[in-house]
Amino acid sequence: MSRYASRRLVQALPLLLGISVASFLIINAVPGGPLSAYENAPGVTPLDLQRLEHQLGLDQPLYLRYVTWLTHVVTGDWGYSYATQQPVLAMIGERLPNTLYLMGTVYVVTLLLAIPLGVLTAVRQYTWFDHLFTGLSFAGLSMPTFWLGLLLIIVLGLTLRLFPLGGMATPGADFDPFDRLWHLVLPVATLSLVGIAHYSRYLRASMLETLNQDYIRTARAKGLTYRSAVFRHALRNAALPLVTIAALDLPELFVGALVTEQIFGWPGMGRLFWDSATRSDYPVLMGILAVSSTLIVLANLAADLAYGYMDPRIHYS
Amino acid sequence: MPRMRALFIAMAALVGLGACGGGAGGPASQTPVKGGTLTVAVWQEPNTLYPYYATQTVSTLVSETALEGLVQVTPEGNYQPVLAKEVPTTANGGLKLSSDGKRMDVTYHLRPGLKWADGQNVSSDDIRFTWQAIMKDPKVTSRGGYDQMTSIDTPDPLTAVVHYGSIYAAYASRFSSSAGQPVLPRHVLEKEADISKSDFVRMPFGTGPFRITEFKSADHITAERNPNYREAGKPYLDRIIFRSVPSREVALAQLKAGEVGAMWNLLEAQLPELGKQSDIKVHAVPGPSVERLEFNLAKPGNPADAAVPHPVLGDGNVRHALVLATPKKQLIDKLLFGKATVAQSTISIGWAAPRDVRQEDYDPTRAKRLLDQAGWAPGADGIRVKNGVRASLKITTTTGDKIREEIEQVLIDEWRQIGVALEVSNVPSSVLFGSWSANAPRKKGNFDVNMYASSPDIDPHETVAQRFACDNIPRPENSGAGFNYYRYCDAQTDQLIQQAGSIVDQDKRKQLYATIMKRVNDAHISVWLYNRSNIDAYRFNVGGYKDNGWDNFTWNTQDWFVTKK
Amino acid sequence: MATWTRASTTPEAGLAELGLPGYAGHWRLARDRFLAHRLAVASVAVLLLLVILVLVGPILSPYDPEHTNLNLRYESPSPAHIMGTDSLGRDLLTRIMFGGRVSLTIGVLAMAVAITLGVLMGGLAGFYGGVTDAVLMRFVDMMLSFPRLFLLILFSVFFGGRFLTVVLLLGALSWMGVSRLIRASFLSLRERQFVEAARALGVPGWLIMLRHLLPNAMAPIIVAATLGIATAIIAESTLSFLGLGIQPPTPSWGNMLKDAQTDMVIAPWTAVFPGLAIFVTVVAINFIGDGLRDALDPQHVIRSARR
Repeated sequence: MSRYASRRLVQALPLLLGISVASFLIINAVPGGPLSAYENAPGVTPLDLQRLEHQLGLDQPLYLRYVTWLTHVVTGDWGYSYATQQPVLAMIGERLPNTLYLMGTVYVVTLLLAIPLGVLTAVRQYTWFDHLFTGLSFAGLSMPTFWLGLLLIIVLGLTLRLFPLGGMATPGADFDPFDRLWHLVLPVATLSLVGIAHYSRYLRASMLETLNQDYIRTARAKGLTYRSAVFRHALRNAALPLVTIAALDLPELFVGALVTEQIFGWPGMGRLFWDSATRSDYPVLMGILAVSSTLIVLANLAADLAYGYMDPRIHYS
Repeated sequence: MPRMRALFIAMAALVGLGACGGGAGGPASQTPVKGGTLTVAVWQEPNTLYPYYATQTVSTLVSETALEGLVQVTPEGNYQPVLAKEVPTTANGGLKLSSDGKRMDVTYHLRPGLKWADGQNVSSDDIRFTWQAIMKDPKVTSRGGYDQMTSIDTPDPLTAVVHYGSIYAAYASRFSSSAGQPVLPRHVLEKEADISKSDFVRMPFGTGPFRITEFKSADHITAERNPNYREAGKPYLDRIIFRSVPSREVALAQLKAGEVGAMWNLLEAQLPELGKQSDIKVHAVPGPSVERLEFNLAKPGNPADAAVPHPVLGDGNVRHALVLATPKKQLIDKLLFGKATVAQSTISIGWAAPRDVRQEDYDPTRAKRLLDQAGWAPGADGIRVKNGVRASLKITTTTGDKIREEIEQVLIDEWRQIGVALEVSNVPSSVLFGSWSANAPRKKGNFDVNMYASSPDIDPHETVAQRFACDNIPRPENSGAGFNYYRYCDAQTDQLIQQAGSIVDQDKRKQLYATIMKRVNDAHISVWLYNRSNIDAYRFNVGGYKDNGWDNFTWNTQDWFVTKK
Repeated sequence: MATWTRASTTPEAGLAELGLPGYAGHWRLARDRFLAHRLAVASVAVLLLLVILVLVGPILSPYDPEHTNLNLRYESPSPAHIMGTDSLGRDLLTRIMFGGRVSLTIGVLAMAVAITLGVLMGGLAGFYGGVTDAVLMRFVDMMLSFPRLFLLILFSVFFGGRFLTVVLLLGALSWMGVSRLIRASFLSLRERQFVEAARALGVPGWLIMLRHLLPNAMAPIIVAATLGIATAIIAESTLSFLGLGIQPPTPSWGNMLKDAQTDMVIAPWTAVFPGLAIFVTVVAINFIGDGLRDALDPQHVIRSARR
């Protein structure tokens, strides 16, 4: 298993390299460039723009700029943002905890609610309970997250004034866990709805398939209680595919949900990406892409390993 | 009875005076109260607080409380001295031209007894250091004007003589707080090898009424009172806290709830919300920013060749008709809630604003007639055609800007009625304002009509030269330098621009700029849409602020105060 | 009484289960199973209604979706304007109907692109195996390792918000799942005897894939296609919401919601109705997809009792 893991890791390196090259090319192909912020500053002359272009290294050929970036990255220097002159790692480091905080909560809430829902709807198939939650799941799957976010803001934030309109905490107030929680409710509700719907449906289908297997029938015939059959046998086997999906969704914890962060004004990675993309802040963009693509590759590996670990029928060589 | 009458007249006079005093852009009769904290909501976080790196308005908004220049611009658009004793002019001997008329010297006299916030004395060495810092640091945003200075002499600690190597017409606007070009403390910054890595860029201090003591990212920035501020008894406030809020909506909600005392930069669309609120004062101040439609006179290409005229816009009659078909007033009234003024040229306010230069008002009937006479006949679908060329144009502006998108819709409708088809082709602002080497369509000339806002400096020299002179058309030969995106070239205009930039007599220059703008308007290369106002809001218990279209609303924070709620 | 039943895998037994006489053929069987899924059937009706509304409504509406009327801004719903007007005085219902044309067309076309690409890639990989498979699957992995929304945004900025580019972009970023499905399907199918026979007869590879393998893999393709439309509609609306998809004045459900973001304080209906349109459409499509999955996948459990 560990040999398999190390082999996959080694294979991942050229993949990541390829992704970074492709990203670099795409970013630089976008017309505009990072000097647009300077263009709009009053008093800037064309001479200034030429100087700044040189200063940012933008007048060098593309391959040279990529190689420079790469050599710096492997030595730990991720460069400085064109817009804020702050180190890229510092900027990412500033935003990452906020995203982890939000997405982590979403992840936990999603799993806590999806697993029981999936099991219950499978077990009580075709009852009103199943129909109700199936209906709700479909509703959840079909709702564009940004629309749900907007609706929640309109209804719960503006009209009923039950929840704040955005942000992580009340600006200017001291740290207060209840205030933080209060600010978490709407964004978490928006993001977890889709996840709960998705995961519970998946688990339900998986459970149904498992519950129909012969070995369950055998166990029941031998006298095992229903509850035992469900939890000790069916669930553990049905959860397998769910684990792989959950593992594949892990990168979301770090990458954040762009649209939701925009709507709720959450200072996270998603917004950092959007801000950087719109102002062509290449170093930050490359930094974020490097982080997220590495995470995705690692998550794929983790999913495969988890599957291999949990399912004794699978052997990796 | 005479005594009653006298009393009545006296009271009427008082009321009249009170009304006059209160209307001029500040709260009426409120006496300043010493002490207190004011919280200002800003919905955008500044990237930096070092003004020479700043590209955002919000950066200088905050740093202006701490850093000051030698001069500043008043609400009326004139210069007034800040750290200098007086604004250098020919009359007071501050400005001296060389005998051959090719060079000039500007002398600044500092006020005596000025101190930095840490107690050190301010001297002319700081002025020279500031110039050197600008010229040495490759990261500064703009060196315009400073690159014309050959040296700065400091004959004594209170005098600095700036030697220019040419006649730089806009000399008076250098070292100005309003331009974000303050004097820097030499004793603090000269030991930094790279200013961008120092603490000063996040927590600067200077001679201003406050000093920035705290910068907590995505949270707040604190400006504490400067005990060494030159005006005794000021600033009234103990501190100002700039609170970072996630959006304008949240900022407004906090302002309404009384959690913040002032809010920066509202949108016109937020005004209806505030209309009924009596405890909030909204100030819409016309600024120098002019939103315009920019026509490409050359055939679009990557890059465009200025010698090849645009198939549709190359015809002056078409451009003229489009000017006539734009309902500027209606756009302002309906979409901007009346909080803007119709623009007539690129210089809307300030000493150089031409009073008599105008653009024609909305007259679609005349527009149609013009096009008919010019040979553009309506086709089967109502869109005009001439010599096989269809009057079809693309308009480009920044994505994500609601008001601009709405204006585009109105224009599509209006121009369709005179027979010109318009199609939207928006791009993100980084693309619209991008650079030549990054293939930005505006630079390359690959567009029909652009819509965006631009603000000239208080001195229009740079703007006018860059935008209207033939040499400043971005071409492969000059590596895309220059801002003449219109690809407009007129020999006489060039001459006038050259003249205006080579003399220092303000009145003469003003006349020249008026002539230039008239020629530009007659060529109909641009539709000057409106002069946008800066809209800020304050709670009723905040006082001392004064509107200034040329500067941020923090330009006079030494006068601000808060009374009890 | 507890009975554990499983849907049968042979048509005859299945028919017996359902109480139908004679040999019906597996498409007829599928149809019957679909009809047993009540929500799916209801959804077909809803979707049909929607499509008619979107096709015919714009012709019947007295309003022009792009004509601005600055005097009628932000009118709340009234008999004259059933869904109210937006920030430029345009009738919302008319815009939703026109927007529906755009959004639905993009949804279908984007799905078509994705399916085509997916079948092509997955089919070639699954049928030929070996090096082709390795290379193609590495490529799929690479595409999957890119954060999708990031690519979407970067490409949209580059290529602009044209109709065609949105379709191609959405299609080009969602074919990976289908390709894996088809690859798995072809991998197992190519071992079958009828394929061996065809090969022995000298039928060229592409013909085998087209005439023999593809029809047998139709079931997962149909389901993926249906659900793909739903995904594409949501993706387009997200793109337009960010300002990168369909550009105004052309209405699309997504860009109408973008405008609503700032308007919703004073005119909440501008946010509610376009989103509702997306929601209803996507729910209906999802139910239909679910019904199709029940109908077409013989291994799928459709009936089991409790306890």
